[in-house]
Amino acid sequence: MTAELAPHSNGPAGRRARGDFAHSFRQWWPYWAMLLPGVIFFVIWHYVPIWNAKMAFEQVRIIPPNIWVGLKNFQLLFSSPVFYQVVWNTIIISTMKLVFIFPVPIIVALMLNEVRSGPLRKTIQSAVYLPHFLSWVVISGIFIALLSPSGAINDIARAVGLQPVNYMTNTGAIRWVLVLSEIWRSAGWDSLLYLAAIIAIDQSLYEAAEIDGANRWQKIWHITIPGIAPTIATLFILNMGMFLSAGLDQVFNMQNDVNRSTIDIIDTYVYRIGLQTGEYALGTAAGLFKGVIGFILIIVAHLVSKRLTGRGVW
Amino acid sequence: MTSIEEPIAPMAPAKGEYVHTRAAIGRTPLERIEYAIIVTTLLAMVVVTVQPILNLLAVSLSDNARVPGMSGLTIIPEGFSLDVWTVLVNHPRVQQGMLNSILITAVGVVINIALTTLMAWGLSRPGLPGRRAVYVLVLVTIVFEPGMLPDYFFNKQFGLLDTYWSVIMYKAVNAWYLIILVRFFEEIPEDLIEAARIDGANPFQTFYMVVLPLAKPAIATIALFYIVFHWNEFFRPLLYLNDQNKWPLQLVLRQFVVEGDKLSIVGLEDMGKYTNASQIDLRAFKAGMILLTIAPILVIYPLILKYFTKGTMTGAVKG
Repeated sequence: MTAELAPHSNGPAGRRARGDFAHSFRQWWPYWAMLLPGVIFFVIWHYVPIWNAKMAFEQVRIIPPNIWVGLKNFQLLFSSPVFYQVVWNTIIISTMKLVFIFPVPIIVALMLNEVRSGPLRKTIQSAVYLPHFLSWVVISGIFIALLSPSGAINDIARAVGLQPVNYMTNTGAIRWVLVLSEIWRSAGWDSLLYLAAIIAIDQSLYEAAEIDGANRWQKIWHITIPGIAPTIATLFILNMGMFLSAGLDQVFNMQNDVNRSTIDIIDTYVYRIGLQTGEYALGTAAGLFKGVIGFILIIVAHLVSKRLTGRGVW
Repeated sequence: MTSIEEPIAPMAPAKGEYVHTRAAIGRTPLERIEYAIIVTTLLAMVVVTVQPILNLLAVSLSDNARVPGMSGLTIIPEGFSLDVWTVLVNHPRVQQGMLNSILITAVGVVINIALTTLMAWGLSRPGLPGRRAVYVLVLVTIVFEPGMLPDYFFNKQFGLLDTYWSVIMYKAVNAWYLIILVRFFEEIPEDLIEAARIDGANPFQTFYMVVLPLAKPAIATIALFYIVFHWNEFFRPLLYLNDQNKWPLQLVLRQFVVEGDKLSIVGLEDMGKYTNASQIDLRAFKAGMILLTIAPILVIYPLILKYFTKGTMTGAVKG
């Protein structure tokens, strides 16, 4: 009994060959039983939608079945100026986020690491991690209040003699609102990853540097940053892999009829033409376009990450 | 920035691992000034993070008549009134939203944990035939997302639209959390499992009596992530739940604050019935509503800090 149940148990070769499946089944069925509910979940909740994506190649009819139309929906999509606009918006917003948001948590981690008082550091961390756990509905609510004509930002503007601006309905400002609100939400929490990497650096390097008379910046530049470089590389590549997801939850809650033209992204476009206008096939095609590009990007990201740091995305 | 990063985060630094070097604060005046600048910058970050929330609290507690003139910078209520909160907690739509959110979160997290832990344990057993195939099955869902419309039609095909299940079961097993848990389970010493087996425990008993208790901190961390996910979810409910009586709190908040739909809260025909609601300043009302939606997160936030910043994921096995 025990010998049969043990993983890797090597029975006599002859016996294994004869009853391979039966033997394997007796040994492993409890684990398969444990896997089963999860596997069923994945097959139904993830693979049925993947199958449904074939709608991108169909003409949806009120009375099924749908008709196969090949790439017609994609031709329609690529001939639409609106689609190019949303792809362009997505690229701009993602690039802005990558350039202006990505370095912030690194700087925060470097600063946090300099704080020598334990309770002070803990207090700072407890405060700056919080926004990560708030929904975008809540954060939008907070930013709408903050940026409204009677909000804090315009109070400051008035105090220094500037005209109040309604940033939420300002097409020039709204992309920056996306960047800044994302920093507000994630700069603190994302620094945790870098902080963990900093902690892992061999402390004797710092001691040696101090004996050699290195100052704070020399230690940061020559020890800390090289020490966290693999983490930086991995996260940068990961962010590149998710380039076309410019932040649906965020944009969706900060969008209004006035600012839509500059922050309409692929995801909000899919929602609008798919579920609000009812162009199911076209919406599915746009979503699939994003899915396929995203697939390519994340595979490339994985391979590059593995090549550079020896650590893949998953 | 994204949900993908979250799973890595639990491998946080353990407290007290910092080595306090002699030159910590600075030996020279210049170094001390640098230190002061760093600390001031971080404290400014704390203010920027906390002040907007405290301002909302102040606005929600202020005397109604004085709210319109209040600065966005203050964190002290002008006058004092609990009118906003009284109306909010007695409002039928807010109550219903709160109940729906609690239901979705509670049922959701139980299903999440049951499915994720069982599946992770199975996947973590070396030599399990079909293990690789299941792994690939899961990884494919990470790298390829067919989009929101195929998801929507799946729910339609299976008759899930307008049921709580459409929302509860969305991402019932989060592939990233699953992978983290598999890696955690793989590190449980084989000796412990072997000992349980020799004592006559079958694999289910081993899972329940040995593996789960050992993985408690890791499972608690993942459970907190799932709770936050369910509580904050608004997009799937918006897609799948037409019936406003089934809406979670986030959607009630969204309709009122983001879409600025005053009638949705005050109600045209109820103007007379909710005399308080119709008279309360909208800004104060929105502030209270935002805070009410945050409140449960604030309640579990100390737990989140405790588990996430302790390095539970990596520390539990080694320690």
